[in-house]
Amino acid sequence: MNYREGQEWGGEMVSHILRFGGQVFTPLPSGGLYWHARRTLLVADLHLEKHAAFARTGQFLPPYDTTMTLKRLAADLSQTGAESVVALGDSFHRDHGTESLSGADRALLGDLMAAREWHWLSGNHDPSPHRLGGICRAALEIGGLRLAHMPEKGRPGLVAGHLHPAARVVINGRSTRRPCFVHDGRLMILPAYGASTGSINILGKAFAGLFDRSALEITMLGRGQLYPVSARRLVDG
Amino acid sequence: MAPLPGIIEDWFRAKGWAPRAHQLAVLEASQADAQALLIAPTGAGKTLAGFLPTLADLVERPGDGLHTLYISPLKALAVDVARNLTTPIAEMKLSIRVETRTGDTPASRRQRQRTDPPAILLTTPEQLALLLSHPEAAKLFGSLKRLVLDELHALVTSKRGELLSLGIARLATLAPQMRITALSATVARPDLLAEWIAAPVPEAETRLLVGSGGARPELSILSARDRIPWAGHSAAWSVPGLYEIIKQHKTTLLFVNTRSQAEMLFQNLWAVNEDGIAIALHHGSLAVEQRRKVEAAMVAGALQAVVCTSTLDLGIDWGDVDLVVQIGAPKGASRMLQRIGRANHRLDEPSKALFVPANRFEVLECEAALEAVEAGAQDSEDPVSGGLDVLAQHVLGMACAAPVDADALFAEVTRAWPYRELTKPLFERVLDFVATGGYALRAYERFAKLRQTPDGLWRIANPGVAQQYRLNIGTIIEEPMVKVRLVRGRGFRRGATTGPIGRGGRVLGEIEEYFIDQLVKGDTFVFGSEIVAFEGMHETEAYVSRSAAPDPKIPSYMGGRFPLSTYLADRVRAMLADPGHWDELPEQVGDWLRLQADISVLPGRESLLVETFPRGAQNYLVCYPFEGRLAHQTLGMLLTRRLERARARPLGFVASDYSLAIWGLGDLSALIRTGRLSLDDLFAEDMLGDDLEAWLDESALMKRTFRNCAVIAGLIERRHPGKEKTGRQVTMSADIIYDVLYQHEPDHILIQATRRDAARGLLDIERLGQCLRRIRKHIVHKPLDLISPLAVPILLDIGKEPIFGEGRESAMAEAAEELLREATGR
Repeated sequence: MNYREGQEWGGEMVSHILRFGGQVFTPLPSGGLYWHARRTLLVADLHLEKHAAFARTGQFLPPYDTTMTLKRLAADLSQTGAESVVALGDSFHRDHGTESLSGADRALLGDLMAAREWHWLSGNHDPSPHRLGGICRAALEIGGLRLAHMPEKGRPGLVAGHLHPAARVVINGRSTRRPCFVHDGRLMILPAYGASTGSINILGKAFAGLFDRSALEITMLGRGQLYPVSARRLVDG
Repeated sequence: MAPLPGIIEDWFRAKGWAPRAHQLAVLEASQADAQALLIAPTGAGKTLAGFLPTLADLVERPGDGLHTLYISPLKALAVDVARNLTTPIAEMKLSIRVETRTGDTPASRRQRQRTDPPAILLTTPEQLALLLSHPEAAKLFGSLKRLVLDELHALVTSKRGELLSLGIARLATLAPQMRITALSATVARPDLLAEWIAAPVPEAETRLLVGSGGARPELSILSARDRIPWAGHSAAWSVPGLYEIIKQHKTTLLFVNTRSQAEMLFQNLWAVNEDGIAIALHHGSLAVEQRRKVEAAMVAGALQAVVCTSTLDLGIDWGDVDLVVQIGAPKGASRMLQRIGRANHRLDEPSKALFVPANRFEVLECEAALEAVEAGAQDSEDPVSGGLDVLAQHVLGMACAAPVDADALFAEVTRAWPYRELTKPLFERVLDFVATGGYALRAYERFAKLRQTPDGLWRIANPGVAQQYRLNIGTIIEEPMVKVRLVRGRGFRRGATTGPIGRGGRVLGEIEEYFIDQLVKGDTFVFGSEIVAFEGMHETEAYVSRSAAPDPKIPSYMGGRFPLSTYLADRVRAMLADPGHWDELPEQVGDWLRLQADISVLPGRESLLVETFPRGAQNYLVCYPFEGRLAHQTLGMLLTRRLERARARPLGFVASDYSLAIWGLGDLSALIRTGRLSLDDLFAEDMLGDDLEAWLDESALMKRTFRNCAVIAGLIERRHPGKEKTGRQVTMSADIIYDVLYQHEPDHILIQATRRDAARGLLDIERLGQCLRRIRKHIVHKPLDLISPLAVPILLDIGKEPIFGEGRESAMAEAAEELLREATGR
């Protein structure tokens, strides 16, 4: 029960600690993961310009998702004071997503990137490098951990995204389903950070065989708060 | 009046019939170049009345092209009418081609119909929209002389009616000579229905024709020797009596309000069916083949009873139904009259109907309905004004047919009655929405669906737009459904607790996704007339196994779609307020009310009774507005917010058609007594301002409503060529889209459309507003030491009905605390 250590009861907000691969992290209710020792914010699956991607097929979804995600990121950066950012792939919904960025969004992103080190890891939605600045790369190894987009089994210390994990719990007949952080001590998967992303239940087929289910630790995202839940509580759907 | 052509008169004579007065009145209107709204009960020969002018005209002036277009809300009805029309045409030896066009019509015939139409085409509102979106529409409909609208009362209260009204406005442009004949059951406001058909054809006279009423129905309420339960909806108490009554009739239709009630009643009837009489089940969630089988058996006279929901409200003559039974709350007088009309489609004989209340409040409602029906009172809904989502769909459809002149189209759509008050700026925003999404941030110009040509016309950007439009047409957005498949239970197989579930069982039918969403493996519920256990989801199918459980664990009564009508509610309040009336009620119900008078007071006709009392560790507030479940749910949400602010620490609430119960930790009686809580302030109408806004911000109801508007308006596609998006996927993305849109453009036309729908439908704001105005300064507070007799039913509903008000976060918080306890070993 390692996340209990260092739990702080500061006012109404409870901040949790996640220990993984010998490192200490603070998960944020937004879905970001702050790495204290490295002063680094990890975010997965921003899916920027997702709505704009639909417009190409005649579905004019509200073009505000990118701004929402960037503002969320700006708030997390100012709250944590992170000096570097690692985006774990699928940062853009399309490989050419950087092209449709509006002037305002481009400027906002520029401001966020100006003050810090920035790593764009490639994802299946955005495999090619782009020219927005920062470093575009396939994966990153730091502090004994490997950061990459795709989760895999049998590579201890991997922090990944891609699957948009969510957990569902039922208590007293009431059910709640939310995105979550999930790890088994060897593999950690971050929830999707983007404003317009869906999620997949970690009991679903997509997660089959990835985790040692007996060692699962799950932290659900709540409203301004995080909720660690027992794996026994999980239900499908 | 011009006489009938000889050939038709001879046919009547050969049959030994004479045309009825209202049939001739429609003919006369038609020959005077007037429109007609014929209001007549079922079985009055309305259909023939609708087509007599067509036959007469075609006998005298045979011509080419489409002469008469007939539109019905049900495709089955269109098919049935075609059959009924073909017979006289054949017997008169007329060469008039009659064809139907529905979703089931083969593509080749549908394509041929666009260029080589029959003289009479029978179809549905959706098919009309589809036909109008083709470039051939102008030629196809140019020759149209008559439009016959069947069961118009059923269409005008929905979005299908809005879409139809726009289609009719276009028809009136394409065929200025077209005249409308509409057929309707009796409604509260026939004048509005007449205006509805007059609006698109202002140059013609519109006559309102009312057919004779037929024999008065024979109505009764099932008398109870057994106790009528306090609460619940199963009407199980009535089953032995009902069974005997069914045996005494040839064919009985048993109407219930929800699918789960239908399941329950069907099961209960079979449990006592010692004689093995043929009793069948018919509701919208059953597999289509199963429903068709039941319908066929019924037409063949092979069934003695059918338990059904509103699926059999409309439509075809099902043969010799000699008794209609309404189980549970009748909800409205007009609704009852229409259901009763399903019995005995012969005018001269009275229809026979029996009301079966499922609980004590329903006894009052049944009494009220019986009096209302006998008095011939009508409380049907009025036609609705038009939504912007439907308008958006229509605008795109018109652009698919031909480039659109914005001014001309605006003038045309405002001739549709539901859109008569549409303003030009709002219309332009809808056009803008269709073209590029209508966002303040003009992000999508380069992907525009509509582009303006140099001469100012709006033209679709490419043929793909029309293709996409046709796949997404219509306003019926199905509640996302999942197939229910019967499999062998996991528990029965040795050792197989985590392995895959057995595949390939029989499909039992479909069930609403939101219902399945709340289930956990092992939960039992009633479906397909048996108790099943939920095994899990597999892609878009829910796997269930047979369960040996005696009772289902999860109640599935989610309330009917229709709330108690204002009219019936008023009658029920009057009945409660008048002790002289109580002797006419069943003894136990009379005793119940007298006991209430002893312990508390009865709700007044114009006032609102609020009772507060402690029970266990909690305090309860029960009020009796009688405004229907939807308005009460909204009231419950808003009162809970206010009670929270007043530090009364509310925990949850439950709503029925009659009353609302809120419970919490604070001592409400004391708060009110000491003046720290004012009931007048608590129930003040201003709750419909900021509190409502604040609640809507987070409400899942808004998201569910938004999804429908977004699909209708074409923002979200319902189908892609080749791959169908499941309802589940649509729901997930629609929630996210709503959040993004609502945060950034709360005035977007789709948010406007969503608000309107939510206020009208799920929230019933208008009715709540009327109620709050009515009770202002008329609140009667009764602090009690104990629960009152009248409060018993609603408190019994706790645990059976969905409970609101407990935060979504609480399940997670409890799960987290549990883990904490586990970790600290407490």
